[in-house]
Formats: sequence, structure tokens, C-alpha cells
Amino acid sequence: MLDVVDLTKRFTTTLAVDGVSFRVGRGEIFGLLGPNGAGKTTTIRMILHILEPDGGTVTYEGLPFSEATRNMVGYLPEERGLYKKSRLLDTLLYFGELRGLSRNHARERAGAWLKRLDLHGQEQRRVEEFSKGNQQKVQFVASVMHDPPLVILDEPFSGLDPVNQLLFKDVFQELKQQGKAIIFSTHQMDQAERLSDSICLINKGRVVLGGPVRDVKKRYGKNTLHVEFDGDGAFMENLAGVHRALLYERSAELELTSDTAPRAIIEQINPRVDLRKVELLEPSLHSIFLQVVGGPAPHNGEGGQTR
Amino acid sequence: MNKVLAVARWEYFEKVKSKAFLIGLLVTPILMIAMGVLPGFFASQEDEESRVVGVIDATGKLIAPFAERFQTRYLLNNGVPNYVVMPLAVGPNINLDAARSDAAMRVSRDEIEGFFVVTGSDSVVEYHSKVVGDFRIAYRIEETIKEILAQERVRTLGLAPGILEQLEVHLNVRTVKLSAEGEKEDAGFETVFISAYVFLMMLFLLIITSGQMLVRSVIEEKSNRIVEVLVSSCSPTELMAGKVLGLSALGLTQMAFWAVIGVALSAKFGVTFVALDQGLLLLLYFILGYLFYAAVFIGAGSPFNTEQEAQQITSYLVLFLVLPIVVAVPAMKNPDALWIQILSYVPLLTPTMMALRIPIQMPSVWEILSTVLVMLVSIYGAMIVAGRIFRIGILSTGKSPSLKELFRWIRTG
Repeated sequence: MLDVVDLTKRFTTTLAVDGVSFRVGRGEIFGLLGPNGAGKTTTIRMILHILEPDGGTVTYEGLPFSEATRNMVGYLPEERGLYKKSRLLDTLLYFGELRGLSRNHARERAGAWLKRLDLHGQEQRRVEEFSKGNQQKVQFVASVMHDPPLVILDEPFSGLDPVNQLLFKDVFQELKQQGKAIIFSTHQMDQAERLSDSICLINKGRVVLGGPVRDVKKRYGKNTLHVEFDGDGAFMENLAGVHRALLYERSAELELTSDTAPRAIIEQINPRVDLRKVELLEPSLHSIFLQVVGGPAPHNGEGGQTR
Repeated sequence: MNKVLAVARWEYFEKVKSKAFLIGLLVTPILMIAMGVLPGFFASQEDEESRVVGVIDATGKLIAPFAERFQTRYLLNNGVPNYVVMPLAVGPNINLDAARSDAAMRVSRDEIEGFFVVTGSDSVVEYHSKVVGDFRIAYRIEETIKEILAQERVRTLGLAPGILEQLEVHLNVRTVKLSAEGEKEDAGFETVFISAYVFLMMLFLLIITSGQMLVRSVIEEKSNRIVEVLVSSCSPTELMAGKVLGLSALGLTQMAFWAVIGVALSAKFGVTFVALDQGLLLLLYFILGYLFYAAVFIGAGSPFNTEQEAQQITSYLVLFLVLPIVVAVPAMKNPDALWIQILSYVPLLTPTMMALRIPIQMPSVWEILSTVLVMLVSIYGAMIVAGRIFRIGILSTGKSPSLKELFRWIRTG
């Protein structure tokens, strides 16, 4: 569906995007990952033709960008903006028309989507009267109501409560089943891991990791202990044989050095905390992310995101 | 093209439905009427109570005839004298300075409205009052004293007492304006002045308000990043064209509404402001000016991220619009002056200068054609330049661009 080849963008002094390539197929959910400032949004803007790339090409179903391909894409920007004083239905009709829908068709599609997202019956309310989460839903409707084969969502989950996150995930699956290609950017790795079929990890403008999630994780081997426990686990990151540790409140992810037997580590941990669960698995995307992007150094550091 | 229309339709209806538009639509004509009518109304308002006027007369001879004339000539509506003359110090031996300060005290205690001083040494009469702007009373005092002095001279020269009335000449100059066809139409100076002014003010207000609306809508879309959705849906050129189109329609709506009010008012009061051919020509300049300024406002406003920053630039544009209002009076005295003709070719001024000139004296056909041509070329150029700034400006955030950067945008667009 979408082919991005060798995309490059330079801003006065910095190389924001440096030779990024990936492809997204129909019926695929594609996670565009990377830390803040990695070049995700710039890449998205070039795909959308908001920014002109300095080098590289973007094709949609093999077609170069044209006025016709504009309508093949739906876009939810990272910063949420709507016309505050305008009415919900008017806003949606406008965005629908801008994507090439007739007014009547837009009305029909808007109605169906509002129903799906539990916003029907509120068509005449002003946008500013909606909660933040609901405004986000409105924007989502605006980006998909013209039934585009490619949907690009920049940080779609930020600012959503758990109920709405679940709703969005369901809707993603529906879109996937309809054969649409979905690109979403995020820096929340657990989300990306659960949702995406393929990922592309960008750091400092370059692709540092990419491919189907399963393959990516396989590449990092089964050398990570996922531990759940009660007690103080702070000592774990200083154990000999632990290359890298991600410590959370009551769980930890311990990446072992290649010559360490998992059993040896378990024996060291067992007397000091109440173990509830131990699993030898592939590292999480989060751990891979930190490894690739340069998280905490081995035997040192604060241990990732604590919750 | 459909997307241009979609943008235009959105801009038009969202603005038409807004409260700000409705208020502007109604308040502007009320303000204009108020500005035209109220000063004259208040100035001609008669006094409701008698006022006391003090007199210091060093000649000693003026006070009696003055009091008699002044109190009988000017009467209030109910027949009571408008002014009561109060002699404060009379005679050749008075101390003028002491009398003045004493009288000033009375004024400050509101015992008297004001006082005048006849020193007798020269033909100067002083009038002292808290309200020096009250020119009517000063004028009346002057008239009355003039009459007395004139009759005094008639007597000393030994002329017949009725001679003054015979010498007075009544003359009314009726101004007749010649239109192109050589037809005559009555057009007093006031009518021409007011209609030129009204058109100028309307054009001015319309361009300012809609220019600012344009800038505001661009900056709003920039600041909440709607613009990303917009320019991923349609090209920046389409977006800009739609905005200009929508707001032009808005301006025409506003003008049509005002025109209806204007026609209704002029029909009621039997004043014709403007002939049909003039009206159509004015409309043409209105539209040209509107489009040109729309491009200028977009170009000037879109690089900025906040309305305040943009206003620093757009307020300079307002100066260009004000200029013709400043030169209105000299232009009316001499509408053929070379400098006025030259200013008419400066695109920022053309619409307003022509709006000023047309009601005063119809410019020649070749001048109209050439200024219209200048405007069309300028609009085309301004749209291209504005489009280039707009394309980059709407996506730029953070620091406002320097002038050098702006030129680079225009060149590389």
C-alpha cells in the first residue's frame, strides 16, 4: 500500500530524517516508534506531502503523490485541534468535503462513525463543549470518514482514558479487517508491542530497527527473565550476569549476559524477594528500544519507566 | 476546485454565523450615522436656561446698547431671553486687572457663564469662559458688538441711519456639479464631502475587519495544528484561494447589507449620495481593493504564530488605509492635483483614493482603466507572493521568520 524509500529531510543545520525506508501493506498495523525528536512526525508529514522531502520517494499503491492520492490518506495529527466554536456535524462535513466526499455522502458517513464511537445525537453541539477524549474521537472520525485505504495516526492514544483506549484498539482491528493500512506513531512501547504487526524504530532520523514484531524480538533471543515478585527488587540490577535490568514496582525484566544460566539468577533472587512468577522470554519492545536507542548502561541506571 | 469551494463555504458560513460578524454588521452603520449626525445635533442644540454673561466695559459706552440688543435678540424657546447681561465694572476709571480677576472668581463660582472685556484701547474684545469651545456665544457677542460699533460710526460720519441695511448684500452661492454627460445636479459641498467620507470609511472598516478575520483564521488553524489536516487534504493554494473567496463573499454580504440601509436612509431623507454609475465603479474598486488587501493580509499574517505578533505588522497596513482619510480635505479642494493622481497608482492606496475621488469629481476614463489595470496586476502579483509565504508560513512554528528568511520563502516558493 505505502512504500517509503530513502526519505530524507534536512532542516537548516540538522538532518531530521536520514534515508528512512519502509513499506506498509494492506491489512497491516504498522508502528512507527522512536524517542521524542527522532523524526517520526517529520516522516509522517512527508508521507502526507505536508513537507517536501529533500530526497527519496513516497508511493501509494505504486502511485506517486497527486491530488487523487491525497484522498487515499486519512490523518490524525499529534496535536489535537478543531474549530472550537463550530458545531460537530458542520466540522465533520467540512473535513469530509476536503477529502473529496460529497456533502450527502459525508453526512451519511459521519452519522455511521458517530454511532460507532457513541457520539450520535450530539451533532449540533459545539466542539468546545466536548471533553478532550471526545474531541479526539471527533478528530479520529474526521480522519477516517472518507474511507481511506491508508490511515496515519500520530500518537493516537495520548490523552485517552482506558475505556477509550480499548475502543480505539477495537476500531483499529476493524479497520485492519477491512484491509486498510494503519500507521501509528508512539513512544509507548508496550502499546506498540500489543498492537502492531510490524514496526519501524527511528532514532536520530535513521531507521535502527524494523520488520514484523515477531522477527524483531526473535533477533534479540530468549535471554530475558521476566520476574514478578513482592519485596524490594532494587538489588537485581547489580547482580553478576545481569546485563541490563528494567525495574518496576513489583516486576522486573532482566537481560542476561550470554554466558549466564537463568537458573543461577533465579537462585540469587529467590531468597531475597517473594517470587510470584518467572518467565524466560524474548525481551519486550521497551527493552529492545532502550537497548537500541541507548537506555541505561549495564549495571547502572534507574531502570526505565517505573510505574 | 471543489475543495476551494468547500473552504470558501466553510469560511463564509462559520463567520456569518459568528456573533462578531453580526455585531460588526449592525454596529458599523449605527456608528457611521452617529458620527455623521450627532456632532451637528449637539452643536445646534438650543440652551434650555438663561445664561448670565458678565461685562467689563472700560469705554463705558458699550454696555447699554449691548445689553439691550443682546437680551432681546436671542431668546429661548419659551420667549425668555437666552442671556442676561450683568455689568461687572463700567467706566473709564476702572482697574482692568482687578476687574478681570474678580470676574474670573465669579466664573469659577458658577455665578456667571463667562464675561467679556472691552478695553477700548484697540478693537479687541476678550471673552473669558470655562468653555472656550462654545463658539456660538462668542460669535453672538462679536456680531452684536460689531453692529453697535458700525451704527456708532454711521452716526459719527453723519450718514443716514438706514444706510447699513441698504449696504448689506445677500448672496447665496449654489454649487452645481457637472457630471460627465454635462447634466447638472445639485450637490452641496456637504453631500459630496459626506458621501466621499462614508465610502472611505466603509472601505476602510470592511478591509480592516475582514483582513483581521483572515489573519485570525490562519493563525487559529496554525496554533491548533488544524492546518496540518487541511494541507494534507488540499493544496495550500486551494486553501488560500478558498479563504480569499469565502471572505470576499462575506465582505460583499456586509456591503450589500449596508447599501440597503444607505439607500433606505437616503430615500427617507431625500438625499442622493451617489449616482448609479458611480456606485458600480465604487463597487469595482471595493472588490479590487478587497482582494488585494486579502492577499497582503495573508502574506503579512501567515508567518506568525500569535495574533499579537501578526498585529504588529498588520497595523502598518492600517496606516495605508487611513492615509486617504487624512488627505480627504485637500483632495476635495483640488481633486486634480498631480500628487493625488500619483497616489492613485500606489496599489495600497488606489482603492481608497479612487473611492475618495469618484464622488468628488469623476476621474477620466483612461485613469480609471489604468488604475484598474494596475490593481489587477498587483492582485495577481500579491496573490503569488502571498501564496508562497502562506505555503511555508502556515507550517512554520516557533520563532517568527526574519525578513531575510521571508524573501527566501518568496524566491524559492
